[in-house]
Amino acid sequence: MTESFIINNLAGMLVVTSILLILVKRLITSIIVFSLQSAILVTIFFVIAYFMDAHELYSWAITSIVTKVILVPSILYLAFHKIKESNASYKAIPIPIIILLAAIILLVCYFVVAPVKLPLTQTLKPVLAVSLALFFIGLMCIISQRNIVKQIFGYCLMENGSHLTLSLLAFRVPELVEIGVTTDAIFAVIIMSYFAKRIYRDLRTLDANKLNVLKG
Amino acid sequence: MNGTEIIYLLLATPLLFATLAFLACLLGKLATSLVTLINFIGVLVLLILSGLTVYIIFCEGQILSANLWWHVDALSGIFIALLGIIGFITAMYSIGYMNHELRHGEISVRGLCCYYGFFQLFLFTMLLAITTNNLIVMWVAIEATTLSSTFLVGLYGQKSSLEAAWKYIIICTIGVAFGLYGTVLVYADAASLMTDPSLAVFWTEVVKYPEIFDPTLMHIAFVFILLGFGTKMGLFPMHAWLPDAHSEAPSPASALLSAVLLNCALLVVLRYFIIIAGVIGDSFPKMLLLILGFLSVGFAAFFIIVQRDIKRLLAYSSVENMGLIAIAIAIGGPLGTFAALLHTINHSLAKTLLFCGSGNILLKYGTRDMSVVKGLLKIAPITSVLFIAGALALGGMPPFNVFVSEFMLVIASIQSGSIWLTVLLLLLLTVVLGGLVKMAAKVSFGVPPEAVSKGELGFMAVAPMAILLALMLLMGTYIPPSVKDYIHRATEIIMISSQFELVKASEQPLHNQINLSKLELVSLGQGSAQ
Repeated sequence: MTESFIINNLAGMLVVTSILLILVKRLITSIIVFSLQSAILVTIFFVIAYFMDAHELYSWAITSIVTKVILVPSILYLAFHKIKESNASYKAIPIPIIILLAAIILLVCYFVVAPVKLPLTQTLKPVLAVSLALFFIGLMCIISQRNIVKQIFGYCLMENGSHLTLSLLAFRVPELVEIGVTTDAIFAVIIMSYFAKRIYRDLRTLDANKLNVLKG
Repeated sequence: MNGTEIIYLLLATPLLFATLAFLACLLGKLATSLVTLINFIGVLVLLILSGLTVYIIFCEGQILSANLWWHVDALSGIFIALLGIIGFITAMYSIGYMNHELRHGEISVRGLCCYYGFFQLFLFTMLLAITTNNLIVMWVAIEATTLSSTFLVGLYGQKSSLEAAWKYIIICTIGVAFGLYGTVLVYADAASLMTDPSLAVFWTEVVKYPEIFDPTLMHIAFVFILLGFGTKMGLFPMHAWLPDAHSEAPSPASALLSAVLLNCALLVVLRYFIIIAGVIGDSFPKMLLLILGFLSVGFAAFFIIVQRDIKRLLAYSSVENMGLIAIAIAIGGPLGTFAALLHTINHSLAKTLLFCGSGNILLKYGTRDMSVVKGLLKIAPITSVLFIAGALALGGMPPFNVFVSEFMLVIASIQSGSIWLTVLLLLLLTVVLGGLVKMAAKVSFGVPPEAVSKGELGFMAVAPMAILLALMLLMGTYIPPSVKDYIHRATEIIMISSQFELVKASEQPLHNQINLSKLELVSLGQGSAQ
């Protein structure tokens, strides 16, 4: 069972990096952690593609290297490295609670994926659970963090999770669809970064709590 | 011109004109009239093409082309027609509105070019969502509608509009990400069991084999779909982006968001409703739709009655109307489903009229606050009369169109035997009517502020409203037979899965009849596939 051992360990590392991404404060560290997580994701794609003979996953892996390991981190770096406030963590939920919530998410996801029949092999079930957990940990990041740059990272986490699910359950979709999904993801990050920069330029803050003009 | 060509033309037109509008930026100050002209020609061509598409669907039943990648039937035909008409009217209204904003320095020439560019791009992404047969592309397109319209929401660049744009993009991308999970579940389940997995991504193929799906998974999938695309549709409690985005966007863009975008999300929900109701029966999806629908109507009614900002009030009214449509689908049956589709059309027309009216008010008074906006009847009588008529119409007063569909909904609700739900629905509708009448009265009567000059804003600011009111009167007094026939056909498409339920329950004699209609659909599909 070497392949499932490798894959499950990699999946575990995905969870660790995602929690780390929420906890670290500095922008540059966040970018490195995200890049690292994407690299682990790519490795998972390669390992599954190799062991399960799912050649379609090679193209997923290569697109992910370009977009998630290189492009998205560079976009975020270019957009925010000059803004000091992007390192700030405003009033956020305490660390132990975040870790506890992440554990609960993981546990729930493990049970939720039980009825799903996987097209490849049932040994990948834990990876599927992790992919779903990644998605919800990303969501938790967006809700719990008040720095809007951190919220973009949360969105990127959600994306990593949903793309892993997509590749596990729907790796045979036409390539055009894959291009569509990836393009959407890149543009979402670009547009979010653009608006975050505009918000900083005009309001001199990245604190989501300060975005409170519109009510009722 | 055949079906395939028309779909490509339909999609290429807004994409081409979007590019032209963005390129016009390069001309600097000279671009103003050019970019306005580009946009107008774009929507005019789009209006003609969408008319043609609707006509072809009318003659041939449906268009299924390019190896199943594109599919439009009577159901999508309704949404294409709405997109063509509302797109044209809002673009027409944009001419006067945006030029006024340009003259008063609210936006730059570059901003104007971007506005028109994103306007066309937004139309393209919505068309893509309506015409594609590929389930995952449908998701991609809905996500793309968010990305293209965020700029329209944040166009003015003020504190409030940036905040609205940020909330819009965050809430909608998160919401739609849930939709992706629903999409993937449906696709993956179909792909693992269909004889040709490559077909599992196409709606027209997936819908043919309800028996292969795993019911447990389909329950989960529908929850994800409704959470995901329901966010985009503006259903409570995922509607939080809607009042902000609709009130902060320029008025023509608000109309487009409310009258077309919400409908696109509705169409996607309906497409999945058809698939999933075929697998697990329609009681579970309908129950969810009914709950979210009632919550939306109830919650929005409360906000409509206490709201002071005109455009936020109209935005909550969109939540309310989307709730009504969800309720109508949930009540179901031929009448309920028909009412849902008719209400979709009626709401779009009425809401566009009111957003145009609120735009005129905003330009005149410089505010949307009802405690300041007074005496519109004295300032701009034509706008005021059209605005009052629109508000009454939207509240469900005869002889306008919304009355007809709401009346149908109530009858369907009574027929379904749920008296308490009907009473609750009527109460909520009364509250909404009260809120809308209050708004119309506050705005129109009273003493106008002295600083506001008298006179209409010009032909281009009033004509679109008049056209809409005429259409609403027409739909309220005499629905053209062709439109009725169209909605009937769309109703049949939605009800296919429910009919399957009937078949399962009472095997014969319905069996032959229903299977025939299903067979017809299937053979039609194969007939026009190229």
